[in-house]
Amino acid sequence: MAVVGWIRVALARVAGFFSGSRRDDDLQEELRAHVEMATAENIRRGMDADAARRAAMLESGGVTQAAEAVRDRRGLPWLDGIVADVKYAARSLRHSRAFTSVVIITLALGIGANTAIFSVVRAVLLKPLPHRDGDRLVYLRQSMDGPGGENLNFSVPEVTDFRGGVKSLGGIAEYSTWTITMRGDREAERVNVGLVTGNYFEVMGLSPILGRVTRPSDDGPGVPAVMVLTHEFWMKRFGGDTSIVGKQIKTETGSATVIGVLQPAPTFPTRMDALMNMVVSKHHLSAQMVQGRTHRMTEVVARLASGSSLEQARTEVNAVYARMQGDHKDSYDPNSHYRVAVIPFKVALGERARLTLWLLMAAAAFVLIISAANVVNLTLMRGVRREQELVVRAALGAGVLRLRRLMVVENLLLTLTGAALGVVFAVGGVRLLTSLAQRYSTRSNEIRLDFAVLGFALALSTGVALLLSFVASLPKEGTFGSWIAAGARRTTGGVRRQRLQRGLVVAQIAVSVVLLAGAGLLTRTMVQLSEVNTGLKTEQVLAIPAQLLSLGDGDFSRVMQGDAAAKEGYDRISREIRALPGVVAVGVGSTIPLRGGNVGFEVKAEGRVLAVGEAVPRAEVRTADPEYFHAAGIPLLRGRSFAATDRRGAGSVVVINQALADKLFRGQDPVGKRVAWTGDVLRFTPFSGDWRTIVGVVGNTRDGGLDAEYPPAMYMPFAQELAIGGGIVVRADSNIAALTAAATRIVRAIAPTVPLGQVMTIAEIKSQALSPRRLNAALVSSFGMLAVIIAAVGIAGVLAFSVSARTNEIGVRMSLGADSGRVQRMILGEGGVLLVSGLVLGVVGAFFGAGVMRGLLFGVAPHDPATFAGVALLMSLIGVVACWIPALRAARIDPAIAMRA
Amino acid sequence: MPDKLDVKQGTLALMILKTLESLGALHGYGIARRIEETSGHRLSLNYGTLYPALLKLEQEGAIVAEWRQSENNRRAKFYSLTAAGRKQLARETRDWHETAELIAAFLTPRRGREA
Repeated sequence: MAVVGWIRVALARVAGFFSGSRRDDDLQEELRAHVEMATAENIRRGMDADAARRAAMLESGGVTQAAEAVRDRRGLPWLDGIVADVKYAARSLRHSRAFTSVVIITLALGIGANTAIFSVVRAVLLKPLPHRDGDRLVYLRQSMDGPGGENLNFSVPEVTDFRGGVKSLGGIAEYSTWTITMRGDREAERVNVGLVTGNYFEVMGLSPILGRVTRPSDDGPGVPAVMVLTHEFWMKRFGGDTSIVGKQIKTETGSATVIGVLQPAPTFPTRMDALMNMVVSKHHLSAQMVQGRTHRMTEVVARLASGSSLEQARTEVNAVYARMQGDHKDSYDPNSHYRVAVIPFKVALGERARLTLWLLMAAAAFVLIISAANVVNLTLMRGVRREQELVVRAALGAGVLRLRRLMVVENLLLTLTGAALGVVFAVGGVRLLTSLAQRYSTRSNEIRLDFAVLGFALALSTGVALLLSFVASLPKEGTFGSWIAAGARRTTGGVRRQRLQRGLVVAQIAVSVVLLAGAGLLTRTMVQLSEVNTGLKTEQVLAIPAQLLSLGDGDFSRVMQGDAAAKEGYDRISREIRALPGVVAVGVGSTIPLRGGNVGFEVKAEGRVLAVGEAVPRAEVRTADPEYFHAAGIPLLRGRSFAATDRRGAGSVVVINQALADKLFRGQDPVGKRVAWTGDVLRFTPFSGDWRTIVGVVGNTRDGGLDAEYPPAMYMPFAQELAIGGGIVVRADSNIAALTAAATRIVRAIAPTVPLGQVMTIAEIKSQALSPRRLNAALVSSFGMLAVIIAAVGIAGVLAFSVSARTNEIGVRMSLGADSGRVQRMILGEGGVLLVSGLVLGVVGAFFGAGVMRGLLFGVAPHDPATFAGVALLMSLIGVVACWIPALRAARIDPAIAMRA
Repeated sequence: MPDKLDVKQGTLALMILKTLESLGALHGYGIARRIEETSGHRLSLNYGTLYPALLKLEQEGAIVAEWRQSENNRRAKFYSLTAAGRKQLARETRDWHETAELIAAFLTPRRGREA
């Protein structure tokens, strides 16, 4: 048949499908006419009416078969069949409501969790970057041993060396994170910006959606300050105002022109609101910055040259770096192991999220496996009960293919309904997960439930439906007869099926144990972390981050001029807060406890020579006023705190923390000894390298994170140094949180143009630091509990089914003298075997699997015996309860009734 | 009832088309009768065979159907040939003759070969 003919037939068939019932009437009438004509003919030949009609019908064949044959020819029989199957499946699922709802909810939870987590994994780790050829971008990271050494950034001379020596990097862009204070119609607000070189956007492969981006002509001194808004900030702060381009933004040092809005793209390493040219900061253009090899303030992103591989870039970068270290021995302490890593930009963006997200994805996948196993089990049991129905359908002429199709349709109906509900769950889950991902990656705003994610849910549910449809055994074509013959009284479903069911239960328990072990380890980590000794005497301290000294454009001489005013401001704030009722102490320092300052320099102690191979000691730079330690709850261990007499012009004194004391003066009393800042980098700071006398030692505080080592720190008198940082700490004799509003008002009144950070108590800071871990542990724990519940339902279900199938046998046993205790033990034993096998498998699996979690744990070993024992105990308890219910039912069987059944 | 032949696949369409060509518009019963008579009652057509074939021809556009009053005042569906149907009939008749000759040539023993 020609193509045209084929299309014509196809169209006719589609039309036939949709006009089915009308055509049916038509056909019935035509066939009736046929029979009547035949009957009339027979009567004419001399038959009586009845015989004539019978003969006519006989001759013509069955009306139903004819109608069926025509119908097959007319519409789209397979579609007709599927519509019928869907109707049938919906009816049959409605009839077994308990089964249907359990399956749908189980699947919805499994699919929902997977969909939600997959959407996060995709956005944060998998999706290609929005940057042009984003997979060619690399991030360079310089690091060294010791606290604060993970990411040192680069200095301008270092970048210049790379630019000159590494041919496999086609373009190298520099940028620094910086904050400016935006002043305008509203309250002063702090804006996180990136100061970028003119080639930044070119290298990054990013384009503006409005206006233009910076270019090399925006580099250097003497050019106007310009600003490119990130898409997120533009939407959030300016409501997507398209007339923004060309407007002036007032900052503390002048103003900048908005030249464009950038396409949506993640920034790294932190979220940035805008990108500006270097002229914004005098400091970035100063000789110190441009010439100082140790003045490391620059992040480096580069694009692989065309034809170059990541490996080539790594080799070349390392070669150039080795040469650099040889040429400038002073700048690279060999014992601190300076090194440079070349990391694909996409990997760098997902680095901190990777382990957590994959762990959650694995946990969700486990839940889906368990729920699918449960559904398979339920389907198998229902399949046994349905066997008679299937036998009848087979007897009526349904082929294997037809039955299989019915099953696929039925299971698809189940899983797709589950998936639809699951997507609803996922919408809620994504919101929760986004708040988690925000803490780990700047790509979190790319998270959404888009078509790819929905496709993922669809693929999952279809996969599960196919799995379900093909585990149920159907006979091979042609062996239907024996099946029909045997089908009438088979109720336990054969050995193969039982083995499969039991295997599934064992797998469920094993997977649950693995999940529980993970949950247990994470929960213990969380508990350990929250019990970590912060080193503070109290956490009921209010912390007010307020930086009164403007760093402006980074010009130190100008910063110095503002210093006196800033100090006076702090004095007034302290005085007024101290006057509030209940306030015990108010201190001012550079840092807020548990937040840390993150700026550290090399230190030396008088008369102390470094041991061979010892890295140059480093300490965090901090300042504190006389009341700071007392107000912040930092214990004074030796010597004295600062006094009012430690002011400018008086002798230089310092207080060090225990960690630094241990490092510099192990076993000796440090009080009275002299220390000094050292290193090339001091040239670029307002701190002198003069000797300073230690007057006191204070306790360590967990400022680098609750799971990190105590950072060594050296405090200088607030009055003797520049008023950097700016942390006001307040201690009161009663509820400290109640003072928040009053204290905030005071700061606002005295320094109205200063952007105020979030005012909270130290306890809140600690809790905030814990929150991603807490959420993480809570998520994995809820997955674990969900898994255990599903597994418990699974084991109880399989045993209950076994009991109901063996009712007859149990009846016989009881009438032969088995008492109910014996029957109970028999069923319990049956469940016990499954439970123990699952437990053993699970513990072994968890033992091998826990290693991958090492990076997420704190204070607990991956193979923590207590956790494993607890998990095994919990699972056994729940498992035994789950077995007991069907066992009790078995024990209550009345033999008289059972045997008659 | 004597054993009757079933209609061979593919030949029924040709028979229907030929019947409609010779007799003009006709209802299903009439077509069946006519085919049975022409075959000398060697063929039997039940409507499970006939009506799907009619539908197929209709879908292909070879015939059209229309409800009309029959000769003895019964409503019946009358089928008639379309132009496309006539062309199909001509083509299939030609094909069939060729096939028949070919088969005949195959099945007829050649004199020369007979032992």
